[in-house]
Amino acid sequence: MAAAELGARPLLAGRGIWLPLAVLALAGCAALGLSLAVGSASVSPEALWAVLRGEGDALSRTLVLELRLPRSLSAFAVGGLLAVAGALMQVLLRNPLADPYVLGLSGGASVGALAAMLAGLGGAVITGSAFAGAFLSTLLVFGLAHGTGSWTPSRLLLTGVVVAAGWGAVITLMLALSPAERLPGMLYWLMGDLSYSRTPWPPLALLLIICLLLMPLGRSLNVMARGPLQAAALGVNVRPLEWTIYLVASALTAMAVTTAGSIGFVGLVVPHMLRLLLGNDQRLILPACALAGGTLLVLADTLARTMIAPEQLPVGVITALLGVPTFLYLLYRSR
Amino acid sequence: MLALVLSGLGAGEARADSRCAIDDRDREVCLEAPATRIATLSPGATELVYAAGAGGKVVAVVAYSDYPPEARQVTSVGSHTRVDLEALVSLQPDLVIGWITGNPAEQLETIEALGVPVFYIEPRSIDSVATTIERLARLAGSEAEGNDVAAEFRAGMDALADEYAAAEPVATFYQVWDEPLMSVNDEHLIGEVVRLCGGVNVFGELSRLVPRIDDEAVLAADPEAIVAGGMGEENRHWLTHWQQYPGLTAVARDNLFFVPPSLIQRPTPRLLEGSRILCEKLEVARGRR
Amino acid sequence: MNRLGLGDLVIDVPGRDDGRALSLGVEPGQVWGVLGPNGVGKTTLLHTLAGLRAPRAGQVLLDGQALATLGRRQVARALGLVFQDRQDGFPATVRETALIGRHPWLSAWQMEGGEDLRLAETALARLDVDHLAERLVSTLSGGERQRLAIATVLTQTPQIWLADEPTNHLDLHHQTAVMALLAEQAAEGRAVMMCLHDLNLAARWCDHLLLLYPDGEACWGPRDAMLETSALERLYGQRLATAEVDGAPVFVPVR
Repeated sequence: MAAAELGARPLLAGRGIWLPLAVLALAGCAALGLSLAVGSASVSPEALWAVLRGEGDALSRTLVLELRLPRSLSAFAVGGLLAVAGALMQVLLRNPLADPYVLGLSGGASVGALAAMLAGLGGAVITGSAFAGAFLSTLLVFGLAHGTGSWTPSRLLLTGVVVAAGWGAVITLMLALSPAERLPGMLYWLMGDLSYSRTPWPPLALLLIICLLLMPLGRSLNVMARGPLQAAALGVNVRPLEWTIYLVASALTAMAVTTAGSIGFVGLVVPHMLRLLLGNDQRLILPACALAGGTLLVLADTLARTMIAPEQLPVGVITALLGVPTFLYLLYRSR
Repeated sequence: MLALVLSGLGAGEARADSRCAIDDRDREVCLEAPATRIATLSPGATELVYAAGAGGKVVAVVAYSDYPPEARQVTSVGSHTRVDLEALVSLQPDLVIGWITGNPAEQLETIEALGVPVFYIEPRSIDSVATTIERLARLAGSEAEGNDVAAEFRAGMDALADEYAAAEPVATFYQVWDEPLMSVNDEHLIGEVVRLCGGVNVFGELSRLVPRIDDEAVLAADPEAIVAGGMGEENRHWLTHWQQYPGLTAVARDNLFFVPPSLIQRPTPRLLEGSRILCEKLEVARGRR
Repeated sequence: MNRLGLGDLVIDVPGRDDGRALSLGVEPGQVWGVLGPNGVGKTTLLHTLAGLRAPRAGQVLLDGQALATLGRRQVARALGLVFQDRQDGFPATVRETALIGRHPWLSAWQMEGGEDLRLAETALARLDVDHLAERLVSTLSGGERQRLAIATVLTQTPQIWLADEPTNHLDLHHQTAVMALLAEQAAEGRAVMMCLHDLNLAARWCDHLLLLYPDGEACWGPRDAMLETSALERLYGQRLATAEVDGAPVFVPVR
């Protein structure tokens, strides 16, 4: 927003959409490559290359293909999901401070997932329950913030923060009532942690499907970013589009939360940085968010698992350390 | 021809030497040969494997594995809540001892998916301490030592049980933590020890294993003895807290006792020593009536 | 789709009686001015005509078809609306903003093409904001934003123009330029309806007038029939002095 307020054009705007996407895709591949190369156990570059060619010794293969690769792919998918969810929320609210974490979607999804876990349910039920929690949170925040008047950024943020705090209290209550020996695991899970994630394929598939689904909606989202009345006057079916965005953002958040717990600020930082660089065409920003969010989380997770190895940090700590200053800066700049 | 015979012999030996044990998730874990490289993913598991006579085979532990002292020299692979799988796999263990409620289920499943057998433990009772040692010894091929340790532990606990079988009941409050104030119920291992010593756990009927309570609940229960573990091996502050309530029977009779937490809060053979101390303290309380 | 019909239309102004239902047609080539004091429902009327809010009774007809039965995209191709106040959205450049006027004309997978860009550039030049094309909207002055809003509708190329205070924030020169642009649109066969505060601009540029009274009463017709000093004085609750300047009547409030 800083550059925006000074009236400067985004650095790379108007260069078409394929060049920036190609650059981001390359960066994503580089980050994935790095995450495969480093870890608490050392795998030499030659050994890594051998593994990637389908050779190499059993230990290196296990380390790279069965431990690092699935985890890095999960990180990529979760980062992409959160960044796209954040970008959608921001368009919908025309507010760069919107983010699934800040607005309580992550909190709702966490409550849903924890409730399912406490009830002893697993797998798809946890995802469904997380989705229900995220959706309920969306309804609460947007229903209440809309109220009788109109959405204002401060009103919406305030509602989101209060709802998020409410979910925080529910989570604390659930933790207090859950068996004491499960507490440490649940707390770590709430911080956002990829070491618990299993197969990367469901979140990756969802990310791909949503990106394809959003492509034809891109221009409508651009028009929505000018406000609902203007969008309606230009032929957008505002209500159905708004609901689509709500549902999609809830689904993305729920999938991210069930894969890796609640990871903050990716949805805030990534779209913001990309807008500064690439302008505000959603047809470019949304796929760019998927790539850049994935890249960021892969790098953050690589840090989390190597910084003080063998002790492992939750990746949410790293993203929060990056995100909190960014968020405060944004809030400060936006009056 | 000779080679064939030899390899055939080898296979036969492996089968003859294969060993199985039922873990605490009721699954049968079988090894083709005794484990030689064991990873223990909780401090309690480390202690039990050493007790089972297989300490020399432990190649990986987690943080706070401080007993026996030799365990401190073993490579750590993170904490029990978040294991560094890479470091663990690099050490190439052939048996991993997992803690059902302490380790992340997802990580234990990943380890199994990588082909490393996981033996899940969750010792919750006096008897299960002994059987866990026996089962671990079976998997590690150290039955001689492990069975002795288990037998000694059983005999010691049985002797205590006999000694205090007819003892007068003592209303006892066991304080497992101070802020927040926590006790244990009858299902808990410590609850079992209190019962064995002729104590009556005043919070034994609560439904949670480790219930959170407040001072008021303790005042209402008016225990005859207050027993506290503590942080590290010190707890003066925990017990002096109760002296502000002279009306409590336990305070009036000076029945405020300390039991080193590492001896009673961990489900390991050291529990025998902890139980002896607790029983003696309750006997002291009986003497002060 | 270039004729706008109001069939026994009662707009929904909260807390006010129905008043007189509006039955009139805005024909191609006509320039209609809507006059009335503050809060009388001028903006509500335009939003109702654009299908952005439902009427209390009656219907809006596009070439005889009820507006409510048409798709939003279809409506947006026929009818453009210049808003009075703009919600400040996300940062966007002036050119991008003008280009969104092409939205109803493009399919979901289509990117804006050369023809769309040409329309936008022409519109920006016409409204004298082409030199600002690269600037962010949030950095523009009120008058520049107003002209950009009109340029956006020009890029939309509707057959029916609805304009809510199109001269807001504009200096005298640009006021005249915008009114001339709207008159030219009408001369090219499009229909125009606008809300105005300035009685004299209405007297000068409109050929039909719709007067909305605070109690819900309304009257409409050709300009010359409507410009009755006594009716206008009743409309605003304000005594007026009249004169004729440059061939048009001029109304000045009496102190």
